[in-house]
Amino acid sequence: MVLTSVGKMVALQKKTSGIRNICILAHVDHGKTTLADCLISSNGIISSRLAGKLRYLDSREDEQIRGITMKSSAISLHFVKGDQEYLINLIDSPGHVDFSSEVSTAVRLCDGCIIVVDAVEGVCPQTQAVLRQAWLENIRPVLVINKIDRLIVELKLTPQEAYLHLKNILEQINAVTGALFTSKVLEERAEKETESESISDIAPGDQIYDWSAGLEDTDDSHLYFSPDHGNVVFASAIDGWGFGIEHFAKLYSQKIGIKPAVLLKTLWGDYYLNAKAKKIMKGDQVGRCLLYIAVVFLSIYCFPYRDKEKIEKIVTSLGLKIGARESRHADPKVHLNAICSQWLPISDAVLSMVCNKLPSPLDITAERVEKLMCVGARTFDSLPPETQELKSAFMKCSSEETAPVIVFVSKMFAVDAKALPHNKPRPLTQEEIAHRRELAKRRHAEKLAANQGKELSEKPPSENSSENHSHASPNSSVDGTERRVRSNAMKQEADDKESFIAFARVFSGVARRGQKIFVLGPKYDPAESLHKVSKLFCSATNDMPSVPHMTCCTLENLYLLMGRELEDLEEVPAGNVLGIGGLQDFVLKSATLSTSPACPPFTPLNFEATPIVRVAVEPKHPSDMPQLVRGMKLLNQADPCVQVLIQETGEHVLVTAGEVHLQRCLDDLKERFAKVQISVSAPIIPFRETITRPPKVDMVNEEIGKQQKVAVIHQAKEDQNKVPEGIQVDSDGLVTISTPNKQATLSVRAVPLPEEVTRLLEENSDLIRTMEQLNTSLNEDKKNHEINQKTLDRIKEFKQKLEQNLQGRKWRNAVDQIWSFGPRKCGPNILLYNFEGYKRSVWQCLGNTVKEVSKYRDFDNSIVSGFQLATLSGPMCEEPLMGVCFTVEKWEMNKVGEMLSTDSQDSGECDAIEHKQSEDTALTSSCTDEVCSGNEHHDSSQNVPKSPEKISKHKREVLLADCYGPFSGQLIATMKEACRYALQAKPQRLMAAMYTCEIMATAEVLGRVYAVLSKREGRVLQEEMKEGTDVFIIKAVLPVAESFGFADEIRKRTSGLASPQLVFSHWEIISSDPFWVPTTEEEYLHFGEKADSENQARKYMNAVRKRKGLYVEEKIVEHAEKQRTLSRNK
Amino acid sequence: MGRQRREVPPPSPPPSPLPRAVGGGEGAAAAMSIFTPTNQIRLTNVAVVRARRGGKRFEIACYRNKVMGWRSGAEKDLDEVLQTHTVFVNVSKGQVAKKEDLVKAFGTDDQTEICKMILSKGELQVSDKERHTQLEQMFRDIATIVADKCVNPETKRPYTVILIERAMKDIHYSVKPHKSTKQQALEVIRQLKETMQIERAHMRLRFILPAKEGKKLKEKLKPLIKVIENEDFHEQLEIVCLIDPGCFREIDELIRSETKGKGTLEVLSLKDVEEGDEKLE
Repeated sequence: MVLTSVGKMVALQKKTSGIRNICILAHVDHGKTTLADCLISSNGIISSRLAGKLRYLDSREDEQIRGITMKSSAISLHFVKGDQEYLINLIDSPGHVDFSSEVSTAVRLCDGCIIVVDAVEGVCPQTQAVLRQAWLENIRPVLVINKIDRLIVELKLTPQEAYLHLKNILEQINAVTGALFTSKVLEERAEKETESESISDIAPGDQIYDWSAGLEDTDDSHLYFSPDHGNVVFASAIDGWGFGIEHFAKLYSQKIGIKPAVLLKTLWGDYYLNAKAKKIMKGDQVGRCLLYIAVVFLSIYCFPYRDKEKIEKIVTSLGLKIGARESRHADPKVHLNAICSQWLPISDAVLSMVCNKLPSPLDITAERVEKLMCVGARTFDSLPPETQELKSAFMKCSSEETAPVIVFVSKMFAVDAKALPHNKPRPLTQEEIAHRRELAKRRHAEKLAANQGKELSEKPPSENSSENHSHASPNSSVDGTERRVRSNAMKQEADDKESFIAFARVFSGVARRGQKIFVLGPKYDPAESLHKVSKLFCSATNDMPSVPHMTCCTLENLYLLMGRELEDLEEVPAGNVLGIGGLQDFVLKSATLSTSPACPPFTPLNFEATPIVRVAVEPKHPSDMPQLVRGMKLLNQADPCVQVLIQETGEHVLVTAGEVHLQRCLDDLKERFAKVQISVSAPIIPFRETITRPPKVDMVNEEIGKQQKVAVIHQAKEDQNKVPEGIQVDSDGLVTISTPNKQATLSVRAVPLPEEVTRLLEENSDLIRTMEQLNTSLNEDKKNHEINQKTLDRIKEFKQKLEQNLQGRKWRNAVDQIWSFGPRKCGPNILLYNFEGYKRSVWQCLGNTVKEVSKYRDFDNSIVSGFQLATLSGPMCEEPLMGVCFTVEKWEMNKVGEMLSTDSQDSGECDAIEHKQSEDTALTSSCTDEVCSGNEHHDSSQNVPKSPEKISKHKREVLLADCYGPFSGQLIATMKEACRYALQAKPQRLMAAMYTCEIMATAEVLGRVYAVLSKREGRVLQEEMKEGTDVFIIKAVLPVAESFGFADEIRKRTSGLASPQLVFSHWEIISSDPFWVPTTEEEYLHFGEKADSENQARKYMNAVRKRKGLYVEEKIVEHAEKQRTLSRNK
Repeated sequence: MGRQRREVPPPSPPPSPLPRAVGGGEGAAAAMSIFTPTNQIRLTNVAVVRARRGGKRFEIACYRNKVMGWRSGAEKDLDEVLQTHTVFVNVSKGQVAKKEDLVKAFGTDDQTEICKMILSKGELQVSDKERHTQLEQMFRDIATIVADKCVNPETKRPYTVILIERAMKDIHYSVKPHKSTKQQALEVIRQLKETMQIERAHMRLRFILPAKEGKKLKEKLKPLIKVIENEDFHEQLEIVCLIDPGCFREIDELIRSETKGKGTLEVLSLKDVEEGDEKLE
């Protein structure tokens, strides 16, 4: 039976001083939800017998199955203490690391928290994390040491040992709090120092060093947990009992006759009771029972060992009533639980501590308000005056009409539309039932009367028929029909839709249903937009001028959150936690709602864990794609921590905080949001290809060239493989190649670009793109666009930087000779021309345009196109190139070629060239045409017997297109081939994408962190200790290719004490040669004949080639002799 | 399942007792010779490579699934490819080629050299695993090409290769080993269109047509154009549009012939796809 009705709750909500907003925080499996169960059972929402087993707030199916909480959920409880009535808005939070974002959302809405610690396990990593979170949000904690019974039953500790154990745990927790405190003080001090430094710079006369760290001046005693402060409760939530010290202090003060105040001070600590003298003595004599043990523990310890009679004696002496069923139960534990939970009910102990020790919304500290209102590094003083005024509204937390409404939404959660209160049949209240009974009686009476009347006279009463009708459907009381009409309308849209409810708290004012309110996005700045809206101040009803990051919406529905249930509310006064419906189109994940545009958005939630586990998600059936995308959008809204994105490759990537979180997201996606079958895979890892300078030393650090090469049997074939006929490769890497019709010859060389240049090109890709656009418009000579002076300056600066970085003899004039960038005309590779009689550069837009007519001009686009294609997919695994410079050193065209070009010029149709060029680029893209199918270089020889499909009637076309296809097409293919061979003539290397990885770890797990990093090819850059704590911050780089499962592994190996954060940083050359085989004797000794030891680069290359269906040099069968014999007679 | 046996070849090659290579547990040979384990070699797992030279047929006995590896250069150890260095006239009957014939046909009697020649030039029956990997590779290649050329018309983003592979399996596409992968990719795209939303990535073109023919030509071009993004008509007609890459040739031809070379056509981008990552929100 529910003891407290909604009406009661509503009444309580208005008394702000009696509200406690609390959340339960702890490490996973320390008993948060069980404790919540016990508290809920005190309100009669669930049976006290089921408390601890039901886990009422774990409403998801997977939560029940896995036995861990995965979301924070709220419930409002009623508690009476003395003559005061309290409303407790309790939020249960998950303990698993993956869901620490849910903890953040819970903590933000609360004023206080209950930290639960397992009496056996003590302080765990997550305990530290939640303490830190509570600290960062400035909320007051109280402590519950749970599972005390395990000390007795499992560990079989003596009371003395148990006491020491608990004392130890308390010390650990206080140490964590102390560390947080010192780090904060040190931080403040550091800030002050930087400030004072800037001052002392001006007047460096007399410096007084203050050696005290500032710790001495700051009082911290109120921070610590101690039973005699009354902020610690010892409990066993599963058995339903718990107690604070004052409980026993009261009990024993009567018995022993010592004042409760004295007892309260002395019950915990090194005191002992001199029973005869009835005096409390200080000291720690060995063998003497400590007072606490003597009094408290012995009384609890006696229970498990008691026999029946003694138990009964106790029961009667305590004045408890134990039901016959429990006392007759075979299992003594049931009996025991019944006694304990009646004698020392946990809910009383915990809730009274909460009411005493935790602040009400009225007591919100100024410090916290300022922290909430100041985003990022902004100080409170820099906010506009209107905003500063709001601080007082916060502090007052008043529910008056005039107070501005400020609501913070910390997360959105999805609810099945059927579960919404207006969509579901609700049990009737007593009055309603009475009312209906009354109606029915009347109708019945009327009916009887009518029948009698009928008998008397034949006149049929007009209202009677309608009465009859309504009698058939007794539900149709006035409000019933109204509700039904509304719910029908809602149902139609709601049936197939998840409904989102905002998890929020009113910080000031009264939130009413139907109220218009501003939604302030995280980037909203009151200072900027205040003047725009100043006319409409406090009136969100009017048409809004468009202000960035600010929208206006209506509060459609307000709910009281009761765990799984929701109750409709009309209005919610300040200081309460509530649910708001109808915001899904306005709020993505979190937001600040206010009636005052001066309100700043609250500081974003601090998430302990950032999402790092990346997976690619795909529908099982490709046609389900739209559902998946819709589902992912919903998931993104419903989960505070998940990230979803579409990558350039077309992959849909889901980024989650951990494996458990990932599993939950996938389940949600499958069953709630997308409702399609999905498959999950590791995301595609991009690579780049590049070349390097030839190495000076070989793999065993011997100088190359001095060693005698060993004749290798299996390398006999290698050289013939590499270069087909018709291509000359010089020893210094100059590749000369002719078009199939022998009309033109190209010489190309590939050189690695210096690292700085590559970086410069990467950074300026946008600029290069605009340059390209300017050039094309210049070339066409039409409507010369006015070039923006700013862009011009930027281009000039870019050119200058390039010149600075490309110095030395080798790069003389290189910058002026840049022909193109690639791939896509803006990538990090350069094409240079270095032959006589040609002048055309990318710097045209800078003004020095030289219009020059040369024999090359008509076909230069083909060369550029060939270069673009070559840079788009390299020879190693068809990945784009990076940091390579191609130089065209020779371009010869024989007579026919020249004639062709002059011919085309004579006809005065320069445009025609445009034709060809574009046609050819099209050909390369078109699958039908095999002219340029030289994508795989071995194909090129097969292209020869290819006749053009269409022979145009045009004379020019006939000339241009011989049996090898159009000439410009040949040129593209030839250029591409030339680039590929030029690359292959140099030592090729793969480049891997790298993450920078920041790991926070405590000293004891450092070794394991390093082990995981080195196993995954990571490299540590630096390691430093965070001031004032024992936490190390390690900076490392890690290849993206190795990052799959990294976060999980590191967490597992370090028991969750280290948490990594990965951010993409740069491309890095993998130093090993993917084609390397041992050649010298030394290398043979070192690596063996087959060199089958790990070659990272080759592994990556082969993986990519396999994925793309390219040829992989791999034996189908390793050992010829070890195949299964398929003989006919098996 | 038979065990594999491979014994040391007898010290003296032909003519005296012929070493018999008996393929796959085939029956015993001629009755008159006496079979003792020392003069008989039983070969299992044989893949025969044949070559005709000088009017004669020569065969060598290789291991299965190994010849392709040798030809591609992945396998470098000849002993892992050849069962025996002997050149046969008929492997299954165990007839060894005569020395004179070898000299006549190959110009040498070095059996190993001749084996290498036959290995690289001769015809062979492709073994099961070789065929399997070849088909799988082609399948992947086709999927890669399709994924590269196509987009989801709704989002203008490419599909992933894995998704295309699954879709190809769903429509039960079987790879034809003698057709080029590009041709097959086009075929696949056509078939996939029936089951999922897929389209060739559009090409963005710009025409500049002389005013005279502009109107007339535009009407003709219209059916070939998917989307006209921008149209500008003062002295000349300038159109920026998206087309299906398959129509390019046709459009090019049309413009060239109709305007007699006065119109220009320029490819702005080969593939109109969304670039960069996008956060779903």
